Formats: sequence, structure tokens, C-alpha cells
Amino acid sequence: MMGKLLRQPWVYSFGAAIAVWLATIAYTEGQGAGAILTAALSFATFTIIVGLGQMMVITTGPGNVDLSIPATITLSGVIAMKVMDEDTGRMAIGILAALGAAAAVGAFNYGLIRLLRIPPIIATLSSSFLVLSTAISYGRGIRIKPPEPLAQFAGAQVLGIPIMAVAVLALSIAMAVVLSRTVYGRSVLAVGQNSRAAWLAGLNAGRTRFVTYVLSAFLAGVCGILLSGFSRGAALNMGEEFLLASIATVVIGGTSVAGGRANVPGIWGAALFMYLLVTMLNTFGASAGVRLILTGLMIIGVIVLAGGEEQR
Amino acid sequence: MLKKTLACTIALAALLAVGPAMADTKDKKIALSNNYAGNSWRQAMLKSWDKVTKQAVADGVVAAADPFTTSENQVTEQAAQIQNLILQGYNAIVVNAASPDALNGVIKQACDAGIVVVSFDGIVTEPCAWRIAVDFEKMGASEVEYLARKMPEGGNLLEIRGLAGVFVDDAISKGINSEAAKNPQFKIVGSVHGDWAQEVAQKAVAGILPSLPEIKAVVTQGGDGYGAAQAFAAAGRPTPTIIMGNRQDELQWWKEQKDKSGYETMSVSIAPGVSTLAFWVAQQILDGKDVPKDLTVPFLRIDQDTLEANLATTEKGGVANVEYSLADAQKVIAGK
Repeated sequence: MMGKLLRQPWVYSFGAAIAVWLATIAYTEGQGAGAILTAALSFATFTIIVGLGQMMVITTGPGNVDLSIPATITLSGVIAMKVMDEDTGRMAIGILAALGAAAAVGAFNYGLIRLLRIPPIIATLSSSFLVLSTAISYGRGIRIKPPEPLAQFAGAQVLGIPIMAVAVLALSIAMAVVLSRTVYGRSVLAVGQNSRAAWLAGLNAGRTRFVTYVLSAFLAGVCGILLSGFSRGAALNMGEEFLLASIATVVIGGTSVAGGRANVPGIWGAALFMYLLVTMLNTFGASAGVRLILTGLMIIGVIVLAGGEEQR
Repeated sequence: MLKKTLACTIALAALLAVGPAMADTKDKKIALSNNYAGNSWRQAMLKSWDKVTKQAVADGVVAAADPFTTSENQVTEQAAQIQNLILQGYNAIVVNAASPDALNGVIKQACDAGIVVVSFDGIVTEPCAWRIAVDFEKMGASEVEYLARKMPEGGNLLEIRGLAGVFVDDAISKGINSEAAKNPQFKIVGSVHGDWAQEVAQKAVAGILPSLPEIKAVVTQGGDGYGAAQAFAAAGRPTPTIIMGNRQDELQWWKEQKDKSGYETMSVSIAPGVSTLAFWVAQQILDGKDVPKDLTVPFLRIDQDTLEANLATTEKGGVANVEYSLADAQKVIAGK
């Protein structure tokens, strides 16, 4: 039983998250133990949302990655806030507009990859310049506040558990079911493992990838709307830190970078680990240099541990 | 032969005669080389540049004043951009640099080509260029000075720093810490990096807050005060005195708290319109004026009584701003 558990790649990211949390509260002598977890859950949810999208993209095979996530988060946040313009009655239309724009970015990304045959890493990077420029020119006057219900939803807690974390848990379970039980999810795995074999088996690799890129951009859009609700306003640099975070959570969480194997629970462990790690180093009063070095070393450590399984 | 010499002499004499009077910049072209545009401060900076220089071009003060921004905030990219500007024949380049020393090579090339280079905000260390610098240490120290007057009994401070590895962050933090050392009633009990972004600051503060004792005040670097306020509210802790950094969201929040409960703080930052100061300084150098290589920009500080006036003139999502005039530039040059 224990051996079986240890072979699950996601166990390591959770283990690391718990270890870091224990180290933090040992240092504070127990003070704020619960509050730190609440904060970690609140902030990790954003990383989890985009991490799920990035996971699907990476799973569709070597070379597939979405670098336009930060720009899409910003665009969606800016559009949502601007269309809603602090008016509760316009919330629905704002959400639709933002998600529509985000999905369009995903479709555009795939268009660049498929029609113009540009490698995904270049295609999504260059489209992110276009997207960010659009956000800047559309958004000029930026930090517009969200309507109150949106802000309240994004910040609401019950007994120290953020409502949003519960919603994202439901989303994660849905993603896990999609991956293992639906034709689309299985196609993602099959295409990622061997694109040609999947094609010979009659799967449409093109359509699978198209849906995946749109899904990733769509989730980035969701993240943008929620984030601008949570931090009460959209800003042009709001997506910046999610580029590395989205990829790191996927990798630390045990999803195969070569594609074909996804891991949903690992995203949670990794996102919590990354947040708690920074919290721990802040609490210890480590200087920025030390913090960056330790963050790098610990990420490498977890990946080495989690990647210890035998090669196939 | 004689005719030709004569013609030359006359031409030369004419040139010499009108020499001083020709100290005129209407044929001169000035370029702005900017390394980043992705936040509200930079957006306001570009807007101010646009507004002031368009008017200057329309008035015939200079022939052109074109802004150029690189997309990636990278030294190599900005170096290539400045090389292009040299080839395009600009007479002066006003630069907000991605690095204080990595651009020195290309800045030297520009100087050697006879181009006036004026750096501001992100300044360069190449000696041939002019620098319009901010005394960031003094800015940091002024925050603690304010707190020492406001709460003589002192207390615990939380410091929010900027982007690690950028010299501005080190300078402001140094000012804060050395002034706090002079006022031992204050103790900095925690320090996080907020990267000058509200979301990042909120995240970092929310993480460290549970482990901290009561916080009396938060010293910041600008662009992080509103995020800090959100984090305190979310944690259900009493709101400390948070020093603001002139962003509209920060001022708006301050105004709401002031109306509700008489909340008091102050706000200090650099006006993004400093780009227009750099423009006028470049124009003055082209005009043949004697300008010292190192100039200092005044801070834009907002206090309890000037809050409303500044908030009214700051657009949604923007930064409190002033645009500089030629007269302001002359005052800064004269060192007043």
C-alpha cells in the first residue's frame, strides 16, 4: 500500500508542501498555522487554474507549451473590469466578453501553430506580445474595481477555507474525470504518447490540440477574471508571475514534460508547495538572493525525487 | 580660385555672425528610448511625453520627439534599438535604461557620433551621458521620518520591497533601514518583495502576516500599498498606517478610509512626467546651455491635505503626475 502510494508522482509535491509548512510554523512556534494555510489555499487556486490548462497543453506531446498564459490573464482581467465598469448588472456580459476574448487567443495560438507551422513555443510567445499590446491599448486606464459581488465571491471564506478553492477543487476533479473517462481526455494522452500511433488509431490529433489550446487560454481567462476580483482591480502586470508558475507546477506535480502523462493532484501539491516555500523563506527573513537560490534548489530537489521512477 | 575663397570666407563669416543667435533647436530631432511599458507608471510616463513633446513640436521648439519602446525589457534589445536611433540621425536620445551599466557601450557609441544622451529614472553610468537621478535613499528615509513624527511611540514595521536585484529596490530599502536604525522605537519585523505590483504584494504580505506580531505601519516602494491593504483586510487584522506610492488605486483607497474613519498616511513617488523633464533638459543641452551631468528630480509627495486635489487630477488606473515645463527644467538645471 505504502509502496504503491510512494510511486505516485504527486505524493512528493504534497510531502514537500507539508514539510515546508511544518518548518514555518515551527519557526513561529505555532502562531498563524491555520491562517498561513488559508492564505496558501487562496493564492494557490490561481496557479492551479492556469496549471491545469498548461498541464493539458504539455500533455499533448513534446514541444507543446502555452507561453501566452500571462498575457491572456491580463487581457481577460482588463476586458472584464472595463466591460463591467463596477456595475453589478454588467457582470455576466463582462465575464462572457473576457472568456470569449481568452478563447479567441487560444484559437489564434493554434492557428499560428497549425496553419503557419510555427513551433508552439514561438507561436504562443509571439501571440502573447500581440495580446499584451491589445490589453495595454484597450486598458489604458486600468485598475478599475470589480463589481462588489465578484470581489466578495473571490475573497469569500467559510471556516478559513476559501470558497474559490472549493470551486477549483470541483474543477480539478472534473478535469481528472475528463482526462481518464472521456474520448477527448484519452485522445490528449494518446496524442501525447505517440502522435502517429494515435493518428493510425483514428484519432484526430489536430482537433485534440486545438481544443487543448483553447481550453488553456480559456482557463487563463477564468484566472484573470477571478484574480481581478480577488485583488480588486486589473493591472497590466497582473499575469507576469504566472508564466514560470504555470510550467513549474506542472513539472513539480509529476506531469511528464515529454507528454502523454498528466497528473491533476500534483498541480495542487506543487502550487501549495511554491506558495508555502516563499512564505517560509519570508518568515525566516531570508534575503532575496538566498530566497531565489533556495527556491531553485528545492524545486530541483522535488523534481529529482518525483522523477525517480524507472524509465519506460 | 579667388572667388571660391571669397565665397567661403563670406559664408564662414556669416556663419560666425549668426552663430550664437542660431542657438536654436527647431531642426533638432530627439528620440525617447524606453525599455518597458507594461505598468501604469510607464504608461503615464509615455502619455506625458506624448502630450508635452507634441506641443513642443507644434510650437517649433524641436523638429521631432519620437518615443520608442522595446517589447521585452531586455538589454540586448534596447542596445539594438539605440543603435538604430544613432543610424536614424537623431540629435539627442533620452533614455530610460534597462540596466545602469550594460548599455554603456552603445551609449558611448552615441556620444561618439555627436549625439546628446540624457538618461532618467533608469539611469546609465557612462560618463558621457547626462543623468536625471532620483535620490531613492532619501525617499525611503522620508517614509520613516514621517512615521517618526506621526507616531513618536514607535512600533513594528513591515517593509515591502520592490523587484529583487534592481538598484532602485536596494536604494529605497537602504534609506528605510538606515532611518529606522536612527529611530530605534521602530522595529522592522518583516520584509517581503512585492515587485511594485499590487497582486504580488498582496500575495507576499498575506503569506507572512500570520507569523507577525501587531504591525503599526507598512513602509513601501509604490505600487504595493493597495495590495498590502487588501491582505490586512483579508486576514481580519487592523489596518496599519500604509505609506502609499501615488497610484490612483492607492489614493482612492486612502480617500475612502479617510472619509470613513479619518485614516492618515502619506504618499510619495516620482512623477512619471519626469520623462518631460528629461526632454527639456535634452533640448537645453542641444540649445548649447551648460548643463551639469548629474541632476536630481524632486519627489512628488501627497499629504493628508493635498490628497483630494491630487486624486481629482489622477485618471483611473493611473499615477499622480506632474508634467514639467521648460521653466521647471531650467530650475532643476540651476540646482534649485
